[in-house]
Amino acid sequence: MKTRGKMALLAALAAASIIAATAVGSVPIPAGDILAILADRLFGAGLPEGMSAVYPAMVMDMRLPRVLLAFLTGAALAMSGTVMQSVLQNPLASPFGLGVSSGAGLGAAIVIVTGLAAGPGRMFLLPAVSLAFGLGTVFLVLRAAKAIDRGYSNLTIILIGMVASLFFNAVMSMLATASPAYAQRINLWLLGSFSMREWSSVWVLLPVTAGCSLLFFRYGRELDAMTFGEEQAQVLGVDMGRCKTLLICAVAALTATAVSFTGVIGFVDLIAPHVVRRFFGAGHRKVLPAAALFGGAFMVLCDLAARTLIPPREIPIGSITALLGAPFFLYIYFAGRRRRSK
Amino acid sequence: MMLEAAHITCGYGAEPVVKDVSFTLGEGERLSILGPNGCGKTTLLRALAGLLPCEGTVTVLDSDAAKLSRRELSRRVALMSQSAPVYFAYTVRETVAMGRYARRQGGLLDREAPDDEAAVRESLERTGLWPLRDRLITELSGGQLQRVFLARTFAQDPAVILLDEPTSHLDLKYQVELIESLKEWTARPGRAAVGVFHDVNLALDFAHTALLMADGAVRSLGPAGAVDPVLLSDIYGMDVPRYMKAALGRWEG
Repeated sequence: MKTRGKMALLAALAAASIIAATAVGSVPIPAGDILAILADRLFGAGLPEGMSAVYPAMVMDMRLPRVLLAFLTGAALAMSGTVMQSVLQNPLASPFGLGVSSGAGLGAAIVIVTGLAAGPGRMFLLPAVSLAFGLGTVFLVLRAAKAIDRGYSNLTIILIGMVASLFFNAVMSMLATASPAYAQRINLWLLGSFSMREWSSVWVLLPVTAGCSLLFFRYGRELDAMTFGEEQAQVLGVDMGRCKTLLICAVAALTATAVSFTGVIGFVDLIAPHVVRRFFGAGHRKVLPAAALFGGAFMVLCDLAARTLIPPREIPIGSITALLGAPFFLYIYFAGRRRRSK
Repeated sequence: MMLEAAHITCGYGAEPVVKDVSFTLGEGERLSILGPNGCGKTTLLRALAGLLPCEGTVTVLDSDAAKLSRRELSRRVALMSQSAPVYFAYTVRETVAMGRYARRQGGLLDREAPDDEAAVRESLERTGLWPLRDRLITELSGGQLQRVFLARTFAQDPAVILLDEPTSHLDLKYQVELIESLKEWTARPGRAAVGVFHDVNLALDFAHTALLMADGAVRSLGPAGAVDPVLLSDIYGMDVPRYMKAALGRWEG
């Protein structure tokens, strides 16, 4: 199948996942009614007669913001993972693995514990502090890797990233224990959840995700060159100093913004790029949009599973993604090893 | 003048690895840098390619390399290194097309330059990779991969190609083929090449000019056909001519 056809199919699947996740719940809502409600809100098409009066409120106030937040988060993390893997020339790299997500989560936890999260301007304070912490973490990890290992090898970077991740998660647990009033909210953060859905989160995450995806797409060719190593990219004409800093900052910003609303969600950033490359090849101008669609749809379906598998309880979304992601990580790692030792 | 290195001194720490190296490279000229491991050959190439800051000046086609943007420099000078591991499954054609990066406009739309397609095709054909163009580079042998990087270097269409042991991992047949295609490439107007080779025979076969280095400094610079055997033996710490004659003896009689 041609790339264009595959991309259209993926987009259709993503749209279907959004409709399906909006339809399923304690009260199932027919897909036709969801489309009618959307058409009414967007174009003033009017609601069909005989539709249950609670549907519009359920769709618009409860389900759709949650589903869209999940989609945007999945898209943001998948693109972040794609870019991180290429910038570090490492198929095992991800913002989560580098501690960006945990660092950003810790920043968010601090805001919550200090009570600032309830204050004015909270919609922007949370992402801003998360961003600062996420950015700080990635530079700390890269700095430490450089200091310990002069060769600056990928394995060292990943190892230190893992250590940072575990360390920040531990600090978050401590914070949760020390401040029982916020314990539940922080614990929710540690494995991620979309239960605190609000349209305002969507309105902050949407422009950040859109902006970063345009930026990543613009640097698609540079990213292609970077997968061959910094020196080769430079030889080809890529201004590495500028590109690398810009891209890493954008990844940290995107990841941190997503994490600040939903908590630390791992593995999507790691697996989405790999799945997409299987079908679309390695070129970033194809992989990036495909990763966004796949990551978004995957997250929507994971969230659907999270809230419907053990009703009325919710499974943390991070558990669902890790449940699928952990075996996948091992598969990629060992498959790669076998190939190299052959 | 294609390339001029004037008093190049550079390194990674306090002690310079390359010390006050100067030479010039004329149109159509091929120069080989010879010397033992660790004498600074690769470091010198990296400085010439603008990958390592250095004291002294590198002049490429009458411009100071330090004043050119990365993109401008890459249109003039390309460096082909020993093959590095590849982790991402690009096709052969996609990989070679990356050589066109410095010639593109860039930006969000990033249209292909009109001659991109032709340049990529020509590079693929020149290196015998046209039949393999849709293969994934992760599935190629080391030798095939090295040819892909050579094709990418050709597609870059620079004035000067720098080669850092391009023949390592290659079978004898491909070593000879690679040298031949490089000779062919430099024969066209406005081109020149500088090479570092592990194999002394290959280095002298490739080049018009030989630059002998030891401890980061130039020991001699002259025609490749008239390298002083005594100096060569001194630099490599062994009787090079005797070794070569012994090797030749195996094939005679």
